Amino acid sequence: MMRTAISILKKDLRMEFRSKESILAMWIFSLLIFVIFNFTFEVSRLVMLEIAPGLLWVAFVFSGMFGLNQSFALEKENGNLRAMALMPVDGGQIYVGKFFSVTIIMLMFEALIFPIFIIFYDLQLSLGMFRLIPVLLAGTIGFTSLGTILSAVAVHTRNQQILLSLLLWPLVSPIIIWSVTLTGMVLSGEVTEAFYPLLLRVGAFDVIFFTLSYMLFDFILED
Amino acid sequence: MRSKIDKILLIFLFIAFSVSIYLIFLWVPQIKASNPAEQIAQRIFYFHVPSAWLGFLAFFVVFCGSVAYLATRNRKYELISVASAEIGVLFISLVLITGPIWAKPVWGIWWTWDVRLTSSLILWLIYVAFLMLRRYLPDGSKRANLSAVVGIIGFTDVPIVYYSIRWWETQHPKAVMASSDGSLAAPMFFAFMFSLATFTLLYVYLIRKRYQLLTLEDTLNKQFKEMEIL
Repeated sequence: MMRTAISILKKDLRMEFRSKESILAMWIFSLLIFVIFNFTFEVSRLVMLEIAPGLLWVAFVFSGMFGLNQSFALEKENGNLRAMALMPVDGGQIYVGKFFSVTIIMLMFEALIFPIFIIFYDLQLSLGMFRLIPVLLAGTIGFTSLGTILSAVAVHTRNQQILLSLLLWPLVSPIIIWSVTLTGMVLSGEVTEAFYPLLLRVGAFDVIFFTLSYMLFDFILED
Repeated sequence: MRSKIDKILLIFLFIAFSVSIYLIFLWVPQIKASNPAEQIAQRIFYFHVPSAWLGFLAFFVVFCGSVAYLATRNRKYELISVASAEIGVLFISLVLITGPIWAKPVWGIWWTWDVRLTSSLILWLIYVAFLMLRRYLPDGSKRANLSAVVGIIGFTDVPIVYYSIRWWETQHPKAVMASSDGSLAAPMFFAFMFSLATFTLLYVYLIRKRYQLLTLEDTLNKQFKEMEIL
């Protein structure tokens, strides 16, 4: 059933592990965001703690764009996008494969940049930090589920990169707003009752975005 | 292309807007407010709220048009959703302009990152992106498909955007229509409903005109293509 999705996923991950192009670029770019941020806003440590969750997500989202752009731009070379459209399979399968490859690459990048973030902003590590795992997972899936389909939309245009940002950011803003709130709760150690319902809500919208994109993907490939 | 219906609509609109302006500026009684500027500024409400309503209506039509297009592949529906998206962006722009004009004398600031304000801005950005996407794509079935997909995702996102920022404290005046204590006096209610109806009529007129223009463009392009072949 899911054979096509799995082969696309495997192909994308193999390409990524050989070249390490996306992850490296995303990682360096995030590092740059931290550095530039440090120069442009010279704030005290207390203020820094307050804005750290936002900064983390800014880094994720900006760098994530690179991975999303790459995902379909690579397929465009040598007319592979057309070949994909001609495959006698359900378009949704291509979406699933692409979604998982983008998500896995992005999660790996997040795991790699997080220690740097902790060091730069001198955050206290604690056991409660494990709560960040479902938050990052839910936020990232929301970002990539919409991002994958919109990347497939934007790849058909001349100004792919800017257009993807224009399309994706307003649409994904609810997910990012919630993820920042949740991350803030975890980083400050003030996990209130609102934490789990909110996390669940992000998860619910992830499911909605994923299902909707899965259903609509066929129309994007069509000529 | 110029139909009788459009002419009648236009005459109706002219009358309705004249009456509407009379109602808003002369007929409706002054509200009780300590700040004299607020008394005058309040009248923008009769333009601000109907514009917002029109924006939502227009985006709902974009959604319906997109679904209908994907289901039938009829170019008619594509053109309707484009026309509606343009009108929606126009009216949400008006909301974003009239809002600060009211806010400055009443709140003392042009803009605040409040629930309603932020979500309206995000809504505006979603549909501007929709229109820009169309600009960047060559005409054809590909463009129709892609924009229909974005039209559907965009509208699905609208309630989520509103929902996501709702728990912030809001400064924005509550929906006065909905309150049961009769906070909106009868003449105000009447003037408001009249303005709402007028704006809706304006939407009908604008979408008809824009749709006609788009089909005209289509015919022209077709003729040009035929000429090139010859």
